[in-house]
Amino acid sequence: MSSAPEMKGNAEINNSKWLDAHYDPVANLYTFSSCIALADLHGDGENKLVVGDLGTGSCNMKLKVYRGTGLMSENTLLDLPTGLVAFLMDQHEPRTPAIAVASGPFIYVYKNLRPYFKFTLPPLDVNALEQDVWNQAREDMIDPLSLKEMLDGIRDKADIPLSVRSLRFLMLDPQDMEAFVNLYKEQPIRRQTVITCISTLKKNMADEDAVSCLVIGTESKDVYILDPEAFTILSKMSLPSAPTQMDVTGQFDVEFRITVACRNGNIYILRRDSQKPKYCIELSSHPVGLVRIGKNVVVGCAQETLQGFTQKGKKLWTVCLPAPVTTMGVMDLPTRGFQAVLVGLANCEVHLYRDKNLVSTIKTPDVVTSICFGRYGREDGTLIMTTKGGGLIVKILKRTAVIDDKDAAPGPPLAQSIRLNVPKKTKLYVDQTMRERENAVAMHRAFQMDLSRLRLAAARAYVKALESSLTPMSSSLSEPLKMNAVVQGLGPSFKLTLNIQNTAACRPVMNLAISFLYDESLYSMRTAFFKIPLLVPGLNYPIDTFVECLSDKGISDIIKVFVLREGKSAPLLTAHINMPVSEGLPLN
Amino acid sequence: MKTAICHHVDFFTSGVCMLNNKVGRVIEAIISETSGIRRKMGLFDKLAGWLGLKKKEVNVLCLGLDNSGKTTIINHLKPTNAQTQDIVPTIGFSIEKFKTSSLSFTVFDMSGQGRYRNLWEHYYKEGQAIIFVVDSGDKLRMVVAKEELDTLLNHPDIKHRRIPLLFFANKMDVRDALSSVKVSQLLCLENIKDKPWHICASDAVKGEGLQEGVDWLQDQIRTMKT
Ligand SMILES: Nc1nc2c(ncn2[C@@H]2O[C@H](COP(=O)(O)OP(=O)(O)OP(=O)(O)O)[C@@H](O)[C@H]2O)c(=O)[nH]1
Ligand SMILES: [Mg+2]
Repeated sequence: MSSAPEMKGNAEINNSKWLDAHYDPVANLYTFSSCIALADLHGDGENKLVVGDLGTGSCNMKLKVYRGTGLMSENTLLDLPTGLVAFLMDQHEPRTPAIAVASGPFIYVYKNLRPYFKFTLPPLDVNALEQDVWNQAREDMIDPLSLKEMLDGIRDKADIPLSVRSLRFLMLDPQDMEAFVNLYKEQPIRRQTVITCISTLKKNMADEDAVSCLVIGTESKDVYILDPEAFTILSKMSLPSAPTQMDVTGQFDVEFRITVACRNGNIYILRRDSQKPKYCIELSSHPVGLVRIGKNVVVGCAQETLQGFTQKGKKLWTVCLPAPVTTMGVMDLPTRGFQAVLVGLANCEVHLYRDKNLVSTIKTPDVVTSICFGRYGREDGTLIMTTKGGGLIVKILKRTAVIDDKDAAPGPPLAQSIRLNVPKKTKLYVDQTMRERENAVAMHRAFQMDLSRLRLAAARAYVKALESSLTPMSSSLSEPLKMNAVVQGLGPSFKLTLNIQNTAACRPVMNLAISFLYDESLYSMRTAFFKIPLLVPGLNYPIDTFVECLSDKGISDIIKVFVLREGKSAPLLTAHINMPVSEGLPLN
Repeated sequence: MKTAICHHVDFFTSGVCMLNNKVGRVIEAIISETSGIRRKMGLFDKLAGWLGLKKKEVNVLCLGLDNSGKTTIINHLKPTNAQTQDIVPTIGFSIEKFKTSSLSFTVFDMSGQGRYRNLWEHYYKEGQAIIFVVDSGDKLRMVVAKEELDTLLNHPDIKHRRIPLLFFANKMDVRDALSSVKVSQLLCLENIKDKPWHICASDAVKGEGLQEGVDWLQDQIRTMKT
């Protein structure tokens, strides 16, 4: 029905699932998936991109809003953003979402991109002993040095950690202590925690545009749920470790589920009506990314794996990734009923997984640090990514793109899983295997015995050859020699060239002679014995002689060459020359 | 249902065909119905044309992404008394009529929303000209407009026909809007070699630039037919 181009098969075509809508390598955007959101901020049906820009990490922190390809507005942020969400606070018209930016112990709420409200986390309990000590200091009952001693003692064993003031005091040099105490002793001690992650939870309706509560995780290992309008704390839950990432689903008034990845490498699942986690997933390495697909949780781990779990924490699958995970996101296309996990990798790729199947790969020009998929502008299937170098990439899923469920990861070829037609086992085969099974030890021994014999025979033959200098290499230390022979000619005359080399490092060899041994009825040689000159080390000495073949019957024989040393009967080395058949006739 | 639609098409009044999800097959029925009636009416039309009583009728497809301003453009081209004040996103498609000095246009104003774009191709055979509207303020979706245009141009019902293409680089009044030259570059219009095409910048709300385009279209259709 539609004229969709075929989009199945190889990876190159895979890439054409996406249209490259925009790429700005110098957008100067430094952020993570937790600080990025898409929202119809102006109620005009056109979604904007809202980014909490971390700047350099110490300055230039900004709340940026993009419309289409351009930056629309910028607000300066006072502190590093740790999370950003868009949420509907109330039922008032126009129903434009507010933006909540978490940084430090505060949530800054923006409406119409103007600061609207600042929420501050409730202060934590102060250690009673610490309070006592500072009270004494205020009354000048103790000097700064004993104050330091006492605080040190409290720090080591107290359940409730010290306040920032005491910790800073403990770091001071003794000469600065007095001034510090005088400056702060009159002020009450405060202990403040910070927000580590933020998310939203629908209040009592499941609709897309329902009012949502804010859910925040703190460094003090707590999770708070805030009222959307009054920002009062509706619920507080505790975790065994500080949360780092969070996924929230459900409705506050009905039933909800908060999946939290914590700094101790575990994932906890909190539910309504329980102050403590209901389920726990213990991971073998730290979670880097956490997303929920339907009822399953998908976690990207530091050990280059992606793992799927049920909502009760049962492990479903694990896949190995080619590189460390940098960030993760959900690709949700409700109009097509399609959901998948986007995994940003350190090798400049973004992988798309449906369950454990890799269904598509996107190559990016730089390492991606944040991923956000959703409706941007008027386009539902938009993928927004920011890169390590501060770039902004916008891709749009083609209307006609078909994403196959088939695993695109390279694996064993299909042919490997086809059953071969193996013939039935014959009686002989079965008998042989029986015999082998029963006599395995004996067979092994017999084999080893024969192998040893063979080695012995080979070694003996070798020793014999060395002893009688039957080889063309001389092993003697005083006359290390090497020889090879070349026969040239078609016959009946042959030219025999012996190449002799002295392989010693520096000593020349003298008083050598060469002698030939051959069948005199077949061959004749002008001189079968002659002396050879002094051999300078390293040089090659070609020595030519001529051999006449006497037979015309087409037979050939071996000529033996001996290199001899004056006054010694055993040769230094021996070579056997296989003479070729003479192809010519002797001229009489 | 069927008789109601026949009746509706018979009189060629401007009307809106509402679609819901399951109407896909019914739409094809409507198309065949329409062409049947047109064939029957052909002789009478020609006669009227010869006698100078009736203007030549042309079917035009109005295509482009959602929110590009197709309905607004067509609304502006209609006689003043037939214009509507509030323009809402088109659902499915709607059939509109307007006349120029020598031609009587029947326009299929298609919905540009992603989920309705697969309806377009059902009307390619009918169309004798195409008006393709682009929102020149929507730089982000220029690639999407190009993709849809390429798909259109490669469709078997369009590919080998010398059908005139009129492009409106609409919303030229919007701040940061791309010029018509830039739009034609981004859509790679210079690659269209086998069809006459023309692009005008327009502001459909004020009606600027529309007449130039329609005049070009009228010239093209007249030279094509005679
Ligand atoms: N500023 C400006 N706005 C325009 C122009 N043309 C249309 N619009 C506005 O753009 C919006 C969409 O216009 P429509 O005519 O409904 O767009 P459409 O192409 O028919 O959209 P669909 O029916 O959804 O495919 C309306 O709010 C129009 O008022 C223009 O030239 N300039
Ligand atoms: Mg319309």
